[in-house]
Amino acid sequence: MSESNAQVHALIGAYVVDALDADERAEFEAHLAECAACREEVASLRGVGETLASAEAVPPPAGLRADVLAQIGQTPQAVPAPASGIAQPEPRKRWAPRLVLAAASALLLVALGVVGVNAYQTHRETVAMEHDVMMVTTAPDAHSMELALGTSHVVVSESMSAVVVMGDEAPMPADGMEYQVFLMMEDGSSMPGPAFTPGADGDFMTVMSAPMDGVVGVAVTEEPMGGSPSMTGEMVALVHL
Amino acid sequence: MDEASAERHLSAVPSEPAATLGELLTLAGRGSSTAFEKVYDHVAGAVYGVALRVVRDPELARDVAQEALVEVWRLAPRYRSDAGSAKAWILTIAHRRAVDAVRSEQALRERSRAHGAAVVGEAGGEPDAVVDVQYAAWAAARVRSGLAGLTSLQREALELAYYKGYTHVEVAEALGVPLGTAKARLRDGLIKLRDLWEATP
Repeated sequence: MSESNAQVHALIGAYVVDALDADERAEFEAHLAECAACREEVASLRGVGETLASAEAVPPPAGLRADVLAQIGQTPQAVPAPASGIAQPEPRKRWAPRLVLAAASALLLVALGVVGVNAYQTHRETVAMEHDVMMVTTAPDAHSMELALGTSHVVVSESMSAVVVMGDEAPMPADGMEYQVFLMMEDGSSMPGPAFTPGADGDFMTVMSAPMDGVVGVAVTEEPMGGSPSMTGEMVALVHL
Repeated sequence: MDEASAERHLSAVPSEPAATLGELLTLAGRGSSTAFEKVYDHVAGAVYGVALRVVRDPELARDVAQEALVEVWRLAPRYRSDAGSAKAWILTIAHRRAVDAVRSEQALRERSRAHGAAVVGEAGGEPDAVVDVQYAAWAAARVRSGLAGLTSLQREALELAYYKGYTHVEVAEALGVPLGTAKARLRDGLIKLRDLWEATP
């Protein structure tokens, strides 16, 4: 461990009891992302804070519950951070789809929040979309692959006959154009899928239902608004299955 | 993918009373507001309690607790069980909020005035979450005996930092010790409490 590393490491107790100022906290968290030993020690010391806080428990004020629940109805969730200090998931690792699923839910809430539907619809649509996405991403044979469109993934399940394409930080397509998913077939043909436009933060999610027999790749192209029956535009990203 | 299979699939997701707080938080992180309501009921008393202990003003504590609980919802997709228990993760967010608030107490005092003379429970009605009084009393006894087992420097450093929101620099000044000593006592005090409490579950 270098000397400066040792100095940062010594802040661990102060970090756990929130005795760092904002800059030091940010510096320590940057260190934490790269130091497994510190992450372990922080995790082991968190239980102390849990006991200290639990000892203070008192009935919360009337109305707090309603206020909090009303506010979360209007608060989009964060996108899961990539696991720090851990290599990118291999395709077919079971937890990768779960991460992706959480991201999907968060993105969906963001998307619905933007169009301003009421809470009831948000909930219903969230559940409906989660059904589809969950079925695909948690299928025993689900596998996840990176897609070079912003920070994106393709999740394919043969047993569910479906493919989920989702991510964020996708660049906006040209004016009058949308992205469209195509399945690339063994025989060289392609099967058109849904067209989509990313949200303000480049986030998007779409599900395509189709038999995966004979599918050798998933492509995203730029097509005129509304999509095309066959690929006409520039291929933006492609993954081979 | 027909609806029937979707129903079957969802029914396999743990969401009924057997679900642990960690499972509920994970579901909340996937956008489930019903799971979040259960998370709220588990932790609101401790979240509000630690906020009240640190900021000392019921109205500010209510604001801090509300902000912290909404932050829990927002960050739930990032909760990872290997970073500690769900409750510890939530209470870390709450404590950090409270500390940040007490450090900008000036601004908060003004906000508090703008709210008028509201007091706890002024909305009338019953408190809307039940606190496990026995558990809180047990934790309080544990904290008392744990703190009593520390050296006075460890105890004072932890009390100033955890309950009053002092930075480690302020802790060192208040206790008249070098900064390195303050950092070390915070850390070894925590380690001692951890080892003590792990040894007597």
